[in-house]
Parts: sequence; structure tokens; C-alpha cells
Amino acid sequence: MSADSLTVPDAGTRPATQRGRLGVPTIMPLAGTEFRLLSREWAAMLFAFVFPPLMLVVLAGSFGNQPDEAFGGVLPSDYYVAAYIGIPLGALALLGLPIMVASYRERDVLRRFEAFGVATVKVITAQALVTCALVVLAAALVVAVAAPTYGVPAVEDPLRTLAGFVLGTVTMIVLGLALGLSVRTARSAQALGMLAFLPMWLLGGGGPPRDILSDGMSRVSDVLPLWHVTAAIREPWLGTGSGGTHLLVLTGWLIVGLVAVTLLLRRRNG
Amino acid sequence: MTTATQRRPDLKPLPPDDHAITVDGLTKAYSGRQVLDGLSLHVGHGEIFGILGPNGTGKTTAVEIIQGLRRRDSGKVHILGLDPAKDQARLRHLLGAQLQSSELPERLKVGEALRLFARLAGDIVDWHELRDEWDLGRLERTAFGALSGGERQRLFVALALVNRPRVVFLDELTQGLDPAARRETWRLVRRVREQGSTVVLVTHYMDEAEQLCDRVGVLSGGRLRACGTPDELIASVGGSYRTRFSCTQTSALAGLDGLPGVHSVTHDGDAVEILGDSSSGVLVAAELVRRGVIPTDFLVSGPSLEDVFVSLTEGAAR
Repeated sequence: MSADSLTVPDAGTRPATQRGRLGVPTIMPLAGTEFRLLSREWAAMLFAFVFPPLMLVVLAGSFGNQPDEAFGGVLPSDYYVAAYIGIPLGALALLGLPIMVASYRERDVLRRFEAFGVATVKVITAQALVTCALVVLAAALVVAVAAPTYGVPAVEDPLRTLAGFVLGTVTMIVLGLALGLSVRTARSAQALGMLAFLPMWLLGGGGPPRDILSDGMSRVSDVLPLWHVTAAIREPWLGTGSGGTHLLVLTGWLIVGLVAVTLLLRRRNG
Repeated sequence: MTTATQRRPDLKPLPPDDHAITVDGLTKAYSGRQVLDGLSLHVGHGEIFGILGPNGTGKTTAVEIIQGLRRRDSGKVHILGLDPAKDQARLRHLLGAQLQSSELPERLKVGEALRLFARLAGDIVDWHELRDEWDLGRLERTAFGALSGGERQRLFVALALVNRPRVVFLDELTQGLDPAARRETWRLVRRVREQGSTVVLVTHYMDEAEQLCDRVGVLSGGRLRACGTPDELIASVGGSYRTRFSCTQTSALAGLDGLPGVHSVTHDGDAVEILGDSSSGVLVAAELVRRGVIPTDFLVSGPSLEDVFVSLTEGAAR
């Protein structure tokens, strides 16, 4: 074949069946594969799906069943049911996702996809989508465990509660992506993820109630994004607040995360 | 066989180009360290072109820039008439790559990998056919992490071909493989070329380059030190033929250095080494027989691509 008879497809005019490398048609098969792969990571799944309901059952049963000032005047069990919707989100975004991203970087899987015309941003978007789906499943599991044990409190402001859940999920996932892209190995991602998750879990609504924390720990808690996630869900759910301030703080964290992800992706192509 | 045009009715003609790849004055530096310093080369259509060079000499950087995976600092690069820095989207459909040290997720099964990459390529190729073509059927349900080195490379080659590429880059394809697996992989590379692709093979195994490559370029110091067929390079840069044998009577060696074509005679104990041109071995043998010396370990060896490599890369290092 002579050189000038070679032909090349034009991405803009190819039929729909051949749009494999464009946008959504690329991300969906990737997401499907990622979902299957993640379902084989039983240790990570056990932690994300078993740990939060288990802690919910233990903590919600430890503080009695009377309204308590330390919990903002609501039932401790209600407080923890609403808060623990956000805890599996923290586990999946700060542990599962960064390990997934970092292991792809460590094993140069990202470059293999790049060589195939699949940009890193599409691969991590697929991983983020899978994490989103798992967050919803894990939150549903928390509710399913709470319903027969402590009961699920009525949602006072469903729209604001949903807004808190959605913005919290997006923010934590973007921060998890930044964490995963910033380290070179899965082991580093696991270490840093644990370091980020444990204080956020204890001080971010999954541990002792905010009102019994010392001033110093309360100030630390104010900085942690997971506190604002659990509060943005819990306050409108239980009717103890609008969650507006927490949504604003989460928006700030989201911007920080997006800038970090953008810079880290640019650094990869140096 | 289905042609590219039959598969894709909406294709645009490529710019005409005499070569599959043309690189001119390519430079790249990392944090002030010059990795490529004016690299120029060309690869013909349908060739297996080998890129040789010491570790850290910029081989992988060069092929990644040619594929459009890295930005160049300066210089011109054209592949199939397109500039990889500007026409990445079009080129992605024409290139296949096996990247050095790049893996797949441990738990991804062979069949899932083939299905995923075929889907991402737009299902141009039926992944079942590719599976059977590359003898991956019995491994379809095996996880990537459980594959042997040779099986992994077979999968990587199959994945590199999932879009029926015009140019395939194979970077250190046989690194870490046992001799049998290496030979099996060489067979696969020849099959890739037989299917119509141009192959760029990055390697530091001289025997591999000698066996597989139509032409070889030797990189050192960020530049191309020599380029040609293995035979051309050996003839022009390879150096002397070596004649080796054992001899206990050093007196029998007297005057051998005066034979036509003999450059030098050295001995270390009983071990004798004579350097000379291609006819020197025969003349030395005849003279030894005439003198009644018949060594049982008489061996003549010609220069190899390894001699070319050492000569060029050591020269550049000095």
C-alpha cells in the first residue's frame, strides 16, 4: 500500500457505533469494568459497607434513647443515623478511590489508557462514577440497618438534605481524586487515606458529639470537610438547621479539590 | 482480509509521506537534564525498526513523543504524515502501543481486557476473533495478575492491535522473559508485521534486534549514533573477527601476526586470541596445520551487533 493511499477516520464524522473514544461512550465501559474490579476487592468493600453500619449500631446504642443537649437536643440514635449517611462516603472517597487511582498510576495503567487515546481524566471520571454509585449503596445500607434497630427519623427538609448529600459526595470524591493523583503508590495512598479518614471520622460526626469536644478539637473539626458533609446532611434532615454554612464551606473545599486535580493532571503530562 | 477503507467508509486521506515516521532535530530535557539532543531518524512503511541504546538514553522518551504521549521541546515529528502534538485524536486510531512497564489491573481478566479495549476502539475488531487469533481463549477467565510473563506479553500485543493500527510501538517487549518466551514473542512481532503494520521495537537485547529488525538505530547521548541494517552496521562499525584457540607451544605462534589480514596476536597463558579481517581465521588455521598444530577448540567469530553497540555507545560516553 502506498503512503498516500492510507486513510484515517475523522472522529467528528464517525458513526455512533464507532464513537468509542469520545466522552460518555468511553466512560461507561470503563465504569462498568471498574465496578466489576472493585467488587473483587473484598477487603475494601468490607470496610466501606460493614464498618459504618457496625459503628452506627454501637454508637447509637451507647447514648440512650432520650433527647440530649449534647446532640443538639435530638435523640442520639437520630443524630447518628443522619450523620452515618456521610461516613461510608468518607471511607470510599478517602480510602477506596485514592488507592484505586494511585495503583493505576503505580502500575502505569493510566499511561496504557493514554496511549490508547483514553485521557486520564476519563479514567478517573469513571472511577469517580463508580465510587458515587457505591456511596449511594452504602448510604442505603446504613438506612437499612438503622430502620429495624433504632428507626429512621423523618426528613424535615428533603431538598436541603439531598443538596448536602450530593455536594458532600462530589466534594469528597474530588478530594479523594486529588489525594490519589498526588502519590506514586497504592501503599502511600492507603497510608495517607487512613491518616485523613480516621480523624475526619472521629471529629467529623462519626465519633463523639460535637458539644462534648474540647474547643481545640472543635476548631480542628471546623476545618475538616467530612464534618461539614455530615452536618450538611444531618441539620436539614433533623430540622436543627439549614446546613447553608456547611454547603458554603463544602463549595470552598470543592474548588480547592478541583484546582488540585487540574494541576496534578497537568503535571502528569510534563 | 478486510482493508482499512472497507472497515471505515468515512475515512479521510492521510497526508502523503514517504516514511511512516520522520523525526528531525528532536530535543527534550527534564529538569535541565538533556535527554534528547537533536534526534533525527526515519522509519519506512512496513519496516520493523529497532531502537537500541543504553539505559536512560532517551529511547522511551523518544517513542512516547512520537506517539504524542509527551510534549517535545523542539524539533519536528511526523507519523503517517501527521504531527503527534497536533493530530493526536486522528493518530490514536492509527497507532498501537506496548509500553515499557505498563500493566493492567491485577484482577482484570483477559477476556474483560480484550472486550474493554475493543469497545474503547469502537468495536472495529471482534474481540473474540482477536482472542482466538492470539491463542488467549484458554486464558479468557484468568486474571492479569495470574498470567506468566509470556502470556502477559501476548495479551499486550493483542491489545496493541485491537484498533488494527498502521504503526505499532513495542517498548522492551521481552524484558524479563525466559528464552523460550522471548522466541515466542519474536514470532508474534513478525506476525504483526505480516498483518501490514509498521513496527518500532525498543530493546536493549542485541540478539533480538539482529533477529527481528530490518533496520536499527543506535541512540546515545540523546542522538542517533548510527542507523542501518544490522549487517550494514556490523560491517561498518563492528570491528575485527576474532580467532580463539588454546596452544601450549608459544613458539608455534611466532610470525602469525605477519599473515595477511591479521591485526594482532595476543595470548594469556594457553589462551590465544587473534584479531583480523574476515579471511584471517582461515589463513591462521592453514598456517597452524602447516606447522603441525591442530587445536581442538579453534573458534572464529565475526563481529556482532553487540560490538557495534559497545563501540558506538562507549565512544559517545567518552
